[in-house]
Amino acid sequence: MSASEKITFWYGCNVVRHGDIIHGAIALLEAVGIEVTPAGGAGYCCGTAKDGNLRAAEGMAKRTVEKFNAHGTGQVVSWCASCDRHMNGFMGEYTQPQFELSHFTQILHARRDVLAAKLTRRVERKVMLHRHFGFHEVDVNPLVEDLLRLVPGLTLVESGTAAPGHMCSALSRVPAALKDVTRGLCDEAVARGADTVATVFHSCHRLLCALEGSEPFKVVNYVNLLTESMGLEFHDDYKSWKLAGSEEAVIATVGRERVAAMGEKLFRESMLPELLKQPVK
Amino acid sequence: MFLLDILKKPPETLRGHLDDFIADTLARCTRCGKCYEACPMTRYSEGLSNADAKQVVSGVLDWLKQTPGNAESVAWLKVCTQSAKCADACPEGINAMKMVRVGQMSAMGSLGLPAEQAKLSGREAKDFFRVINAYSQTQMSAGQVEKWQR
Ligand code: SF4
Repeated sequence: MSASEKITFWYGCNVVRHGDIIHGAIALLEAVGIEVTPAGGAGYCCGTAKDGNLRAAEGMAKRTVEKFNAHGTGQVVSWCASCDRHMNGFMGEYTQPQFELSHFTQILHARRDVLAAKLTRRVERKVMLHRHFGFHEVDVNPLVEDLLRLVPGLTLVESGTAAPGHMCSALSRVPAALKDVTRGLCDEAVARGADTVATVFHSCHRLLCALEGSEPFKVVNYVNLLTESMGLEFHDDYKSWKLAGSEEAVIATVGRERVAAMGEKLFRESMLPELLKQPVK
Repeated sequence: MFLLDILKKPPETLRGHLDDFIADTLARCTRCGKCYEACPMTRYSEGLSNADAKQVVSGVLDWLKQTPGNAESVAWLKVCTQSAKCADACPEGINAMKMVRVGQMSAMGSLGLPAEQAKLSGREAKDFFRVINAYSQTQMSAGQVEKWQR
């Protein structure tokens, strides 16, 4: 793919909690000379959450592939490990994709020389990457570590561990495993003197960002470390909400008007419990 | 057989693809148990503490045949977090992670087993898409939601 080519950036569903990641990722793609058509949310669902309803899963998959074909970019760049896996393992097997699928980390890594020239601000942090070993389609950990090494002022603290699963959301179904991973991450970050833990995927960020409230390190997605070095600022709203503490504080931080716009009932029943839940280690 | 393979059209439905995958897996899997042995999650299930790898895999293959598998196979399906170690371990080149996932689908009743024989819940998170849309409102402009997510 040449630097002037267009791509569809398929950010996925659950990452919409983290606008900073989506907007930051788009800024990074544009910074390396790519024209981006963003696509995500419910309208571009891969259907991976629909294993209990295969008719619905198929409908979503076909609709999403057809929309990507209609974009005409010939290149879909995924953000989410789960979407990527589902496109490769299921959706692409019974639809007719007219595009190549790559992962965001591969695209940025292939253009790291261009990116490096844009990373002009120093980011004085000792960063340890939170790694998983389950995304075997793309070996994202060394790619992200290479990208972080481009940031002036940033010291990468090598991590000696990697967690099971492709992302922390996969571990949620086995709470004891998520607890072990969380504890291991905290212990290792402290032992290695990291002041920042960098998450790769949004679901890890969702489940781990509130560690900042109790641990001696920050939790930042690697996209935000790269954009910070470009002099761009994308606020991590979700982390602020998770760190707010009480029910009232969460609502005040989200904003009463926004809560009303989303629907008070929906917010209280289906969003607030997640925002109040803290990591367990 | 070779000619039939060439003439065989690719599946056009998810179910058609799953049926092909199941037939291929059942034909090639030797029940060696290496996929199970490579799994980093088995220690999180009491039901697997004394499990025999070959028996667990046989149970998963039963689910693929749409026959309820043994209790150990259900225990394995429950702790899968998609670590992919199983897929890398299979000497036959079977995507064992996908085998487990399709086994989960069957154990949810998605492939046709009667609901009373299902052992896993296929329910997704409550209000999944409403929540996705609500968060989107907070993180994007109305124009971006319209342009990027419809
Ligand atoms: S490793 Fe492969 S051949 Fe052996 S039991 Fe597992 S899927 Fe079957």
